[in-house]
Parts: sequence; structure tokens; C-alpha cells
Amino acid sequence: MVDIEIEIDGKVVHGHSGENLISIADREGIEIPRFCYHKKLSVAANCRMCLVDIEGNPNAQPACSTPSSAGMKVHTKNEKAKTAQKAVMEFLLINHPLDCPICDQGGECELQDVAMEYGSNVSRFNEGKRIVDDKGIGALIQTDMTRCIHCTRCVRFGAEVAGIVEMGATGRGEDLKIEPFLSEGIQSELSGNMIDVCPVGALTSKPFRYEVRSWQMNSIQTIARHDLVGSNIFTQTHKSKVKRVVARDNENINETWISDRDRFSYQGVNNENRVLIPKIKIEGEWQDTSWDDALDFATNGIKKHAKEGSQFGTLASKNATLEELYLLQKFTRGLGSDNLDYRLDASNPYNAKVLESNISLTELETIDHALIVNSYLRLEQPMINHRIRKATLNGASVSTINAKAFDFNYRISHSVLTSPQNTVATLSGILKALLDKGSQTLPDYLNTVTVHQTHIDIANALLNAKHPVVVLGEHVNGNTCSDQVAKLVSEIAKASDAKTLNASLTGNTHSAERVNFKPDNGKNALQILSSDLTAFALFDVYPNFDCIDSENAIKHLSRDDAFVVAMNSFDDESVLSFANVILPIASFYETSGTHINVDNIAQSYSASVKSAGESKPGWKVIKVLADLLNLQGFDFTDSSQIADEALSLTPSISEIEVPINNSEMPNVTTVWQYTPYASDVVVRHASSLQQTRIGQMSEASVCKATAKLLELSEGDFYKGVPVNINESVAEGCVFVHTHLPRQLGVV
Amino acid sequence: MNNICLKSIDKDNPSSLATYEEMGGYKVWHKILHGELSPEKILEELKISGLRGRGGAGFPTGLKWSFMPRNQEGQKYVVCNSDEGEPGTCHDRDILRFNPHSVIEGMAIAGYVMNATVGYNYIRGEFMEPYYRFEEALKEAYDTGLLGTNINGSKVCFDLYSHLGAGAYICGEETALLESLEGKKGQPRFKPPFPANVGLYGKPTTINNTESFASVPEILSRGGQWFADLGVVNSGGTKCFSVTGNVKNPANFEIPMGTPFSDLLKLAGGLRKGRTLKGVIPGGSSTPLIPAAKAMKMTMDYDSIEKAGSMLGAGSVIVMDDTTCMVKALTRLAHFYYDESCGQCTPCREGTGWMYRVLKRIMDGQGKSEDLNLLLSVQDKIIGNTICALGDAAAMPVESFITHFREEFEYYIKHGKSMVESDG
Repeated sequence: MVDIEIEIDGKVVHGHSGENLISIADREGIEIPRFCYHKKLSVAANCRMCLVDIEGNPNAQPACSTPSSAGMKVHTKNEKAKTAQKAVMEFLLINHPLDCPICDQGGECELQDVAMEYGSNVSRFNEGKRIVDDKGIGALIQTDMTRCIHCTRCVRFGAEVAGIVEMGATGRGEDLKIEPFLSEGIQSELSGNMIDVCPVGALTSKPFRYEVRSWQMNSIQTIARHDLVGSNIFTQTHKSKVKRVVARDNENINETWISDRDRFSYQGVNNENRVLIPKIKIEGEWQDTSWDDALDFATNGIKKHAKEGSQFGTLASKNATLEELYLLQKFTRGLGSDNLDYRLDASNPYNAKVLESNISLTELETIDHALIVNSYLRLEQPMINHRIRKATLNGASVSTINAKAFDFNYRISHSVLTSPQNTVATLSGILKALLDKGSQTLPDYLNTVTVHQTHIDIANALLNAKHPVVVLGEHVNGNTCSDQVAKLVSEIAKASDAKTLNASLTGNTHSAERVNFKPDNGKNALQILSSDLTAFALFDVYPNFDCIDSENAIKHLSRDDAFVVAMNSFDDESVLSFANVILPIASFYETSGTHINVDNIAQSYSASVKSAGESKPGWKVIKVLADLLNLQGFDFTDSSQIADEALSLTPSISEIEVPINNSEMPNVTTVWQYTPYASDVVVRHASSLQQTRIGQMSEASVCKATAKLLELSEGDFYKGVPVNINESVAEGCVFVHTHLPRQLGVV
Repeated sequence: MNNICLKSIDKDNPSSLATYEEMGGYKVWHKILHGELSPEKILEELKISGLRGRGGAGFPTGLKWSFMPRNQEGQKYVVCNSDEGEPGTCHDRDILRFNPHSVIEGMAIAGYVMNATVGYNYIRGEFMEPYYRFEEALKEAYDTGLLGTNINGSKVCFDLYSHLGAGAYICGEETALLESLEGKKGQPRFKPPFPANVGLYGKPTTINNTESFASVPEILSRGGQWFADLGVVNSGGTKCFSVTGNVKNPANFEIPMGTPFSDLLKLAGGLRKGRTLKGVIPGGSSTPLIPAAKAMKMTMDYDSIEKAGSMLGAGSVIVMDDTTCMVKALTRLAHFYYDESCGQCTPCREGTGWMYRVLKRIMDGQGKSEDLNLLLSVQDKIIGNTICALGDAAAMPVESFITHFREEFEYYIKHGKSMVESDG
């Protein structure tokens, strides 16, 4: 690309030859009105609002689709340009309802803003206005298509970014309608971005409808905590409630998009099911009490039940803040215990160091092959998946090794269906194929491994790629050989010179790893919940959903000799059944904190609103508990001091040996995956997300052969989930994708 | 008359290969297959001939062909625009019906010149008979080894397919045609990039009108200069005109460029008894109306018609006599564009409906005195501001009808009825 000089409104500016005039103008801060142009979408040039005068051209030309060339002289505000722009504005307004007073977009509407400068105060249109039917497109997006100006940003977003063509322009002329092709409603996990790109009030947030006027809210910069990305967002608040969440640009992290989970989960925080007052259980009866009494009750209980530190164990949510996790481990270790863990959903809590990520989000766009192992990445990590999709648009191919064939938004070139018990064998086959190609000596454990053609195909895809990546996802956590799977993924990456991305541990797990929130020599989550510990601290843990063996966890915590301090943000039946004291803590957006994302970027944020009821930020509660137990080193007055101390620690870098032995596993296994809207306690309480098709998913998929073995038929329930017999699932396993708690399955 | 594109029109079995070959058809193509005619020579002859695109824009065909990056790697395409939908036009239909082989040969030559091995003929959806005729001709051409891969060992390759549209006027716009051909909704693309660089399936593509392609074999067999000399300066050769409206013998006439309009009118049998000429739309409904006095002085070529205030367009001459109500005629035209706008870009989507509704209101006797200036203002805001030329096409008749026959519109508004007795 050549650097050229052009003139816009008499100002000499630089651009690349062929670069669109509008992007040069934007860079230079020269304002050109537009509706259809969006920097992240393809050019459509259909709204015609950005018409500008180019010297030597008889007609005004759209700045969005006109390539610049050296010496061009452009006028964006002379009479010719203004006349053209005002003409377009008039046309846009003749059929627009102008119902700004009852439109949620009012005050933040591009049409309203541009009309201020280019519109007329009197309409010359005296014919009947167009009215458009609203079909309804689901629980998240409110449509008022009479307001639509047909810019097709939402259509292009679906086709180009979400990768699921849902909205389209049907009909022609005046009858052109923007509407979904199918009546099933919008299904994309990124659909909410259509609200952001819509320049008018045609697509607005349904949960936000008529809540408050946009100018009455405060916008606070913060971070979304649900996944590994830590998307940048604004919480928009009114009277100490989060009313809406919108995306905040950060090119290196979430670009300009956010997932629906990040956008609509705030509803969970406002849910009435929050714990608002401290509670203690006396003789089996719960009673509300003061903070002082509750804290005394908690510390006395810990002192009484954990005479020795080793009798104490701590479990924390993977979504806790860096500060909370750091203080909690300091607290636990201060009591002389090394029993602590955040890996609650793991059948075999493996050390994340076995497979560390070494590729950044932006680098993911440049890969030419991705091997996705044990993951429905699109729903697990929408923004990571989006980067891979971008790579596929540039020609990258993708292979998968999964227990089920999933609906990705890009083409999968090789797909191997593998049950959990066969995953080690499959990965070993691929590793062997890779090492064979490189004529390398095989480690002993590969000697007896059989290599299939599909293994060779995937090995070839990896070897033929210049920038491959191997991604490991959530499903591995339920595998009792998870450490071996992670190890093999790491070996495959080494043998094929591929980068790795460990997406199996989501939420704020990079913070948990940074502060070593797991035992060095003590007990891990599974052991804590199966040995004879007598005092427990649970931090925002809801065992019926969060623990892999929820039935056993609840039974164990309910023992008569067990004393459980639950620091919780939400009320929960099962916690009430076993806890002795419940200390209400702040939820998302109510506390300051830090999230470390997959790129190891630590992003700190302050509280957007004050915590609900009498609940307190988690770090303050832990600090006071520590003070009451006379632990040293808790002299913090601000969460940033905690973050500073936590981040100054250097994580250990010891090598971890993982023998590959393909240990004995059952003939039939279960993969249990929550919908993305059941992945943590906040989003589980977000009512609108629960009503979406993704949120409603609940299906135990099993193939015919396995169904026969398990004597299952359509209409049956497997662990409480309706059975669906189809051949998209690997033999020997049941793939459960649901929003229902694991505990339900046991009943 | 009827010397080139329509020369088989009076023959028995006009569309057959035998008839075409009898008239000297496929001679040029055989020369090419024998390696006796270079692309450069063809381009030179075409440039000399002065052939201009017959679809309406009048762009020099030889120049257009020379824009194609013929030596660029990868697939290239030639596309024939037989989506003849302009109201008043029906000569491409007759070329396809009576002389389909000339289109096939013209396209094959184009493919050879531009190194495009695949061609598509996009035929208007309503043209079932022409489509079947063209398909028959195509089969004959394949059966006799005139098309295909490595034709007769010449290393020349050309495959040709025809495609039937689905009835949208906008698909006659070349980029909307490409979209439709790709299986998408027929909506024009913004330009640049132009089809010569990014065309069908993103590949370099040249699109010409049926008549343009059909003229090529004759030009090359008889020489560019011969063709140029048939016409006048800036308008070489002959042109097919479809004469419709208030004439005795509406028909297609292939006549030399520069023929006086009055002669063409005579060919069409002239006006009916007792009628006088009121106005003429010379190039299809998208071109401005010319009042009688000016029309009678013009000759049928690009420059003269432009001087008279309109365009030669697709050569679709709509003749109106004194019984025509101009308000009604314009309302009908406005309805056509309102109905055919693709709706993609703002000025056309919103403006065509606005203009039609105002005109309809006038027709319903609800007109207001400010409506005429409003119409002129609305059409002015559409012109030049849209993605494709449909916006201009919808606007130009409004401007010309009101400018030339304002008193008739004012009368209608004032009295709620037409000034023209027989139509009112």
C-alpha cells in the first residue's frame, strides 16, 4: 500500500492508496455523517448519508465506498456535499416514525444526532407513513422495525461476525424488510451486538425496555468476568442498579463486541434471590443476624472445629476476583491448611501448568489451522471462538476431537468423535502419527498405540500449517484422565510446532493459578469433599451446580461434625441445608477487583454499584475474618493493595510429570456441559438469557448403540435430562448439555 | 433496414444454425479457431467500428473489452445482458428469437479476445420463447463443435450457458445481474470496483448487451470501417429501434444511426388519422421526454438526441399523440419505478414511493399547487445520489414531463381532471 496525500476540506491528510475516504476522515477527526458504515463490517454504501463532493466528479460520492487516490480533493461540508447529505436525511426521515419520546434509543440515537444537523424542522411528506410488523426475535432483542432505516448493519453483523445468517433483507423497494429468515428467533451467542450496531431504535435491548432514559444513567468502565477473555464493558447504572451493559472497545481483547452472556448477565445481579443479610444456623434453624454476630459465630466455629489447620478446607468459585482468591488462600494457609481449590468441576483436578496457553487473542486471528479438543468453543468462549472464525475467513482450517459434533460457525475439515475414555488413545494416535512423520523416536507409551487414518489426517493438517494452534476446552474437566489429555495436547503441540490455548479452566482461573489457589501438598477439591475435614470455607460455591460430584459434596458437607462458613452472593437451597453461617458478599459489578485473562493481562475494575442489601465485598469479609482469627498480613485498606501484593508474587514454574497410562475407565461415561447461561451463579439468575434457545438447551445426547446398552429410549430421562438419541455422539458416552444442576440428576 | 442483428427476421427457420451459416455466420469464429485473427486485431476493428454499448449507456464496446486484464491469471467471464426490461424495449427479444447464433458467436469472440473461457447469457424471466430458442441454438453450436473445451484442437475454449431471470427489472442493471447470476438477491453493487476487475464470483467480467454482442460478428467479417460508415460521427453503424405507442405499425426497425426521427416514424406507419404528435420518449422509459417540435427535428443518434435533451438509451421509442394525458402517463411510469426499486439505497427506496404517491394523489383529484415543485425537488434529490442508475431513471421522466407539460399538470391539480378530453 502506498502512502498518499489527499485534501479533505482544505486539510492535507495522508492515507493508503485505495483506502476508503471515510476511514481517512475518521482518523483525522473530520466528521462525516453515516449510518450503514461500520468500521468492523463490510462496506454497503446503501444509506448514502456519507455523500461528499469530490472535485472533478459531477455527482456527490459516498465516502465509505470511494477509494482514495493521490491528489484527491474532497469536500465534506461544502454546498454540494451538504445538499446531498440533507437530501438523504430527508428521505430517511419521511417514513421514520419520529417516536423519539417513547424510543429507548432516544438520546443515543445516530439518526437523532445526525438529524439535528442535517434534518429540517418541517416535514414535506404528507402521505401515509410506512408501518412494519414486528415478528419478535427472542428474549434479548426488542424489535421496532418501523424505525428501521435499512442500513443492514445487523444483517452484515450476522453474516460476517456472528457467522450465523439470521437477519436478512426481504422484499424490495419500499417493502424491503429487515427480518429473520426463520421464525425460530435469533440463536447466535453474540446476538446482542446487533443492538450496539443498530444506529436507530429498531433493535434495542429487551430486558432494558422502558427501564430508564439513556441520559439518566452513569456509564462505568469495567470488565466482564464470565470467561477467559475479560471483555471490556460499560455498566450503565441508575439509582445504584446496573440497568444495562454495553461493549467497550478494546482492540486487543474484545475488539468492539461482547458475548450475550457478558451483556445480559447483569440481570442476575439484580435478581431477588440474593443473600442480603448475614445468617446463622442455631439448632437447625436459620436466623438473620448482625455482621458482628455472624463473624463471631463463624470464627468461633472455625476455632472449635478446626483445632488443627489440616482440619480446615477452602473452596472458591472460579469467578472470584484476584483479590478475593489471594486473600482466601492467605487466610487458609494462615490457618495452617493447604487444603484449598477452585477446580470444583474436575473429576481429576489437574495442574494447569501441564498445558499453558502461549498464544494471544490477536495472534489467534493469524493461525492457519486449529485443532479443537474437548470443546464446544463457540458457546464456551465466544470471543476466542470469534478470533478463530476470523482466521477461518482468511483461509484457516479447523479440526475437532470431541464427544459430539457441534454446531460451529465455521466449517470443520476433520472431526473425530471420541468418548472421554478413548480420548487418550485418539490423542496418542495423533501424536504417534506426528512423531512418525518426523521420524522421531517414540516414547514407550506410544508403542502399542494404533494409528488410524483420521489421526494421520489431523497430523497432516497440523504439519502442513505454518501457524497451527491446539485448543483444549471444558469437556476435559470431567475426564478422570484429564491430566493425561492435557499432557498429550501439550506433546502434540510440541511435535507439530503449534501454539497452545488452554480454555478448559474458565472464568478468572488465571488469577487462581497466579495466587496458587490449589494445594501444594494438601487436599484438592475432590479430596476436601471426601476426607474427614471438619471446618470449611466456601466462597460463592453452589455445590449442586458447581461440584462434579455434587451429591457426595452435599452429603459430605452436611455431616454433623462439619462446620461450614459460606460466603455467598445468592441464596441456595443446598447451601442452606449444610452451611452453619452465611455471610452475604457482593456480586459482579458490586466489588472492585481484578480479572486476569487468557493473555495474562490483569484488568482491574472498581465497583459500579454498591453491594446489595448488607452484603460486603468479598475481600473485606475475608480480611475481617482473618483479623478476628488474629492472622497476620491482612492490613489492607484498599483492594488495589491486595492486587499489588498478589501480582508481585512469581508463580512457581516446576515441571510436572504426567505418566500416560490410559488408565481403566468405565464402558460408558458422561460428559456434562452446562449451557453458557448456566456457567456461573450470576448468569444462572439472568432471566432473559434463560429464555433464549441457548439458555433452554437441555438434552442428553446418546447414540443408538449406547442407548441400547443403557436401555435408554427417546422420552426417557438420563440424570434428569431428556434423552435424545442421535448419531452425532461418540459411542460409549452420553453428552449432556443442560441448564439443570447436576444434583437434579442424582435425585 | 434490418441488415445486421435482425437480418434473418424474414427468413424461413430464422434461428437455425443453417440459416445463420448461410448468411455467413461463424466465419469469424472459424477464422479465430484457425488462428487467423488475433485479439489485438479484433479490438482494433471494434474501435474503428464505433460500436457503442446498445444496452443504454453507449459506452464504446472496443474500449470496454480492452479494459479486461486479459493476461491476468485465473478465471474470467463474459456475460450477456438479455434482461431486456426497459418499458418500450423489445428488440433484444427478437434478436434472441430470430438470430440467436449471432449472440453466441459474438460472445464466443468476446471470450476469445478477453481470455474468458466461460460465458453466461442472462435472459429476462418472462422471455420463455427466446430462452428456448437460444437454448436450441446453443445445443446446435455444441453439437457441431463450435463451443466447448479445446474446440477442434484449436486450444480455444469457450463454454456458454443461458440463465433465466426471475422477473425483476433491476436485474438488468449489470451488477444486480451478476448478483442474481450468483444466486443472490438482485441488488446493484456499488462501484468501484467495476466488473472488469471484480465481477462475477469476484472475477474479471465483461458485460455487454445482446445487440452489442450480436453486432460483433458482422463488424468483424465486413470490417470496422464498413460498420462505422453506416452511421454518423460518434454513432457508428446501425441500431435496432423498438417503436411503440401511438403509431400505426409498432415494430422493431434496425436502421442506420443518424436516420431522422421523422423517417423512423414513417417506417412505423406514422400516427393514426387526425392525430398530432405530442411527445416522444426516445430511449426507453428512463430517458427524458422530448416534446414534438424538437423530436421532429432530431436524428436517431447519440449526439442529436442528447442535443434534444434526452438520450438514445436502449433505442426504445415511445410515441405519444395528442390523446395522451401526460399526468396519467407519468403516474404510470412513477408506479413502475416505485414497484421495481430494489430498496437497497435510501433515495430510491424512499423517493420513488414519495413521487408516486404525490402523483397518485393528483390523479385522485387531491393535488395541491405546491405538489409540482415538491416533485421537482424530490426528483432532484434522487438524481446522482443512488447506488445505481434506477434512481436517475425514476427521476428523469418526472423532471421532463413536468417541465415540458407543466400547464397540463397545473390543470389537473386545479380541476381534478385531465386537460386531455379523450383520456380524462
